[in-house]
Amino acid sequence: MNALLPDLAVCAQEPIRVPGAIQPHGWMTVLSAQGKLLAWSANWRNADRAGEAAALVRDNLGALQGGEGPAALGRIELHGTGLDVGGHRNGELVLLEFEPATPDSGTQAPIYSLARHFLPQLQQARSVQALAELAAAEIKRLTGFGRTLVYRFDEEGHGEVLAEQIEPGYDSYAGHRFPASDLPAQARELYLLNHIRLIPNADYEPVPLVGADPGWDARSLDLSWAGLRSVSPVHLEYMRNMGTLASMSVSIVVRGRLWGLISCHDHAPRRLPFQTRAACEHLGRLLSLQIASREDTTEVAARLELRQLTLQIVSHLADGDSTLQRMVAEPTPLLRLAQASGAAVVLNEDCWTTGDTPDRAQIGALAKWIAAKNQEVWSSDRLAEEYPPGEAFGARAAGVLAVSISQVHQHLVLWFRPELVTTIRWAGDPRKELTMTGGRIHPRKSFSSWQQQVRGRCAPWSATQESAVTELRHALIGIVLRRAEEMAEVASELGRVNKELEAFSYTVSHDLRAPMRHIAGYVDLVQDMEGKHLSERSMRYLSHVKEAAAYAGHLVDALLDFSRMGRSAIKRGRVETRLLVDELIAEFNRQEQGRRIDWRIEDPLPSLWADPFLLQVALRNLLGNAVKYTRTREKAQVRIVGVRDAAGEGLEIVDNGVGFQQKYVAKLFGVFQRLHQAEEFEGTGIGLASVRRIVERHGGTVWARGEPDQGATFGFTLPRKADARPREEGPTRS
Amino acid sequence: MLKPILLVEDDKRDLELTLVALERSQLANEVIVVRDGAQALDYLLREGDFRNREEGNPAVVLLDLKLPKINGLEVLQKVRATPALRSMPVVMLTSSQEESDVLRSYELGVNAYVVKPVEFKQFVAAIADLGVFWAVLNEPPPGSMKAIRRHE
Repeated sequence: MNALLPDLAVCAQEPIRVPGAIQPHGWMTVLSAQGKLLAWSANWRNADRAGEAAALVRDNLGALQGGEGPAALGRIELHGTGLDVGGHRNGELVLLEFEPATPDSGTQAPIYSLARHFLPQLQQARSVQALAELAAAEIKRLTGFGRTLVYRFDEEGHGEVLAEQIEPGYDSYAGHRFPASDLPAQARELYLLNHIRLIPNADYEPVPLVGADPGWDARSLDLSWAGLRSVSPVHLEYMRNMGTLASMSVSIVVRGRLWGLISCHDHAPRRLPFQTRAACEHLGRLLSLQIASREDTTEVAARLELRQLTLQIVSHLADGDSTLQRMVAEPTPLLRLAQASGAAVVLNEDCWTTGDTPDRAQIGALAKWIAAKNQEVWSSDRLAEEYPPGEAFGARAAGVLAVSISQVHQHLVLWFRPELVTTIRWAGDPRKELTMTGGRIHPRKSFSSWQQQVRGRCAPWSATQESAVTELRHALIGIVLRRAEEMAEVASELGRVNKELEAFSYTVSHDLRAPMRHIAGYVDLVQDMEGKHLSERSMRYLSHVKEAAAYAGHLVDALLDFSRMGRSAIKRGRVETRLLVDELIAEFNRQEQGRRIDWRIEDPLPSLWADPFLLQVALRNLLGNAVKYTRTREKAQVRIVGVRDAAGEGLEIVDNGVGFQQKYVAKLFGVFQRLHQAEEFEGTGIGLASVRRIVERHGGTVWARGEPDQGATFGFTLPRKADARPREEGPTRS
Repeated sequence: MLKPILLVEDDKRDLELTLVALERSQLANEVIVVRDGAQALDYLLREGDFRNREEGNPAVVLLDLKLPKINGLEVLQKVRATPALRSMPVVMLTSSQEESDVLRSYELGVNAYVVKPVEFKQFVAAIADLGVFWAVLNEPPPGSMKAIRRHE
């Protein structure tokens, strides 16, 4: 933006505090602290007159305090001419300024009307805008200038017209901007010192200052506080170019900063009496106070609202066991907090979004870039300028505001704002503002409306919004820390529970198997020894007892296997499933010697990244099921097929057995779920639960398809080595 | 003279079933029965009630893991730490399939680890295998069929 404007430095070097001259509508006399005449303006014609005038106020000089700025010193009568006198001290000097007196208007003085009319209105105005409008109207009324503008400086120093009062024949600048360069830095400083500045006639001839001593340099006299101070020729040219012959500026100073100006223009020269100027200056101060108070109120209200939003977001998170990504589940307060159109929560490689945002990969890259800056809060309203890949985000995210939640992890919350194509209306093309000719700077000639389109930016992130997200950040860090504590608690509780479970399993394995064994053993002995003497029915009953005991024993074993599967660590390696399948088929063929099973292996079978032992248990279960449930088939057929998809690689086992109804598929993998009556097919109902546990502990997926009396297909895939996520640790090891 | 088999078992029923199994396996060795780890060590070290027993180690110790007073693992540890007993075969005969027990037993130098099968026929077969394997050096003489019980 600034590249658009010429170098302000040129203008900023002009020594406007020490012009060595005054404007011709008044006279100046400079005394030493002791009252000795040091210098005077040339329009006194001679030192005597200057000294004479000074002598008339000499008694009042004690009222002037150093560093306080000009004060009224009353009215004098010099050779039949009434003069209003003002003065101030500047270091060791006393500067006296004289202007032709205007009749005293008594209680009709502008300062009184200000107190009567303006102040009550001012107090009722609810917004800064309303204040500006009131001020423009009141100044116009007080001064009669043809055009009155109230403008505010933006962050870059450009003046933005908030309110305007014009008479017919004056160009309107409502809604326009005046470039920062209209007001060089040193001029701004003077506006802070001296709150009112009148130039009654831009066509004036400066009146030089003359020293009592021959060597005195007029340019040594600091006229910062002087109302009569002569103006920079650049500024006069600027006024003439603008068609303005008289101007007045009243500073609006809020919290010690030049917030804006009330600026008045007139096509014709215009002098204002001292009282009117005093009223205008006073008006400026009242306005400044009111603006400060309105801004404070607005900011308090805005902060309150933002705090409310922060509370909503945080209470939503704190309610449950939720983590940061839950923020996007309730997007309204999140987006409103930063007045954003999209937001994202980035937790390391993962990303959750709401609203209008770049895509996740783009956000991931941006988050990485922002995280590298190592700043708690970072924002830009013109992202693509700082982060060239942001160009690709297009209009949906021209700006970003980001907070970082963790110093260790890449945990960020980001807000996005769309591009806001703004049309700025300048009071004249600011690019053509200054020219240099004949070794002198000239201001721009044209003040006609010039439009500029600004692209690639979003509405700027305000300080209030930044502090709101900072507050949210603190709250989130609090939540994250608390959650970490809770997790640690849960982990230690889990550890305790697991130890208990282990002790329980041990007891079961040892103490429950023993009575099962005893029942089976003694029944066997009875059958052996007394079989001849027992009735057939007794023998049948005994065999039921034995089977039941044996079944209970198997169940205990299966349960133990299952629990062990969840507890022991997974030790992964490359497993050739073809070899595993071959071994298992040989095993089943030995066990099922009375049967002919048609095994079909569709090569190639994959090699998987898995724990060889656990994978074998899973495959044995799946092949065992296929063998079991094809038992009623005359031609049992089991097909083993390799599968691969985006998630990984695995196997499918397809049989032509009794199958199952697809609606039960969800039950199939549960512990102790059986779809067949125990007499039909033996088993503990734990095999598929084991398969699922094994596959899921590898980070993989299991599935099943079936049709009654047609057969069943069971399949699983495991992640490839590169994608395998660290889930191999059993809970006891964590 | 065949060396005896030392059976360390606290559970009455297990003891009875094991003895039946040993009987059925037709081993000729005498079976010495003790009911806890302390007694087992007394026997092996010829201390306490056993201070007057004849010299010599059993052919094999069938050691239950879970025992009152001193458990099987502790007995095993003591056996392996005692030079005179170090080379004596010890078989864990137990209900526990816990990986940690198996691991610990092997670390302590067990010769075999046998989980008692639930079904009696398999149990008998396992005991028979054990007896035959560990008493394989001594061919049972013809007609010598009875194991002798010393302690109930």
